[in-house]
Amino acid sequence: MGKRPPITNRVRELRERHGPMSQAALGEAIGVTRQTVIAIEQGRYSPSLESAFRIARLFGVGVEDVFGWEES
Amino acid sequence: MSFREKSAWVMAAVIILAGLYYLRAVLAAPHASGAASPPAGALAGYVCLVVVGSVVAQIVLALSAPKEAAHPADERERPALQRAGHWAGFVLAAGAILSLGNFLYRPDGNLLFHLVLGSLIASQIAEYVFQIALLRRGA
Repeated sequence: MGKRPPITNRVRELRERHGPMSQAALGEAIGVTRQTVIAIEQGRYSPSLESAFRIARLFGVGVEDVFGWEES
Repeated sequence: MSFREKSAWVMAAVIILAGLYYLRAVLAAPHASGAASPPAGALAGYVCLVVVGSVVAQIVLALSAPKEAAHPADERERPALQRAGHWAGFVLAAGAILSLGNFLYRPDGNLLFHLVLGSLIASQIAEYVFQIALLRRGA
């Protein structure tokens, strides 16, 4: 298992508040697979800047409202 | 399990089965050191098995998940697939070097052929194993 990226996110929380929206639907909306959405929500994968903006815009919030930096 | 991971599992299975067929055919063939040529029938059978097996497997996979199959690899999958191919290249290189090293001490062209082909098969299997591992890890 690789080292977890130090980036936290509220994707799951926002997704559940937004509808709730399924992981597959979110993946479809931002152009990634459901497995990638799962990996993002579990903190195993940090999305590209483009996908981060797409997620934030989809939920109508700023990127910093979705993603944060975890101080070690 | 993502479409890419399913595809990697299926392709690894196809390559392993075809490789076992080839190994069996080679072991069954007469072992004359430095014989004129390697068993062409076994090689042709291996190639046919890989081609037909891959096509059938991909069609079945695509029919079972047409939407996923239509999408190209996404931003998380692309680097995983590239890295797996890169690492598999090392497996192929190691196999080729070992095969050539073996040829220096045992100059048997037939054996060299089988060892290089075996390295190719091993690197292909390794590529799919790396893909599965990297896709599961989150890449």
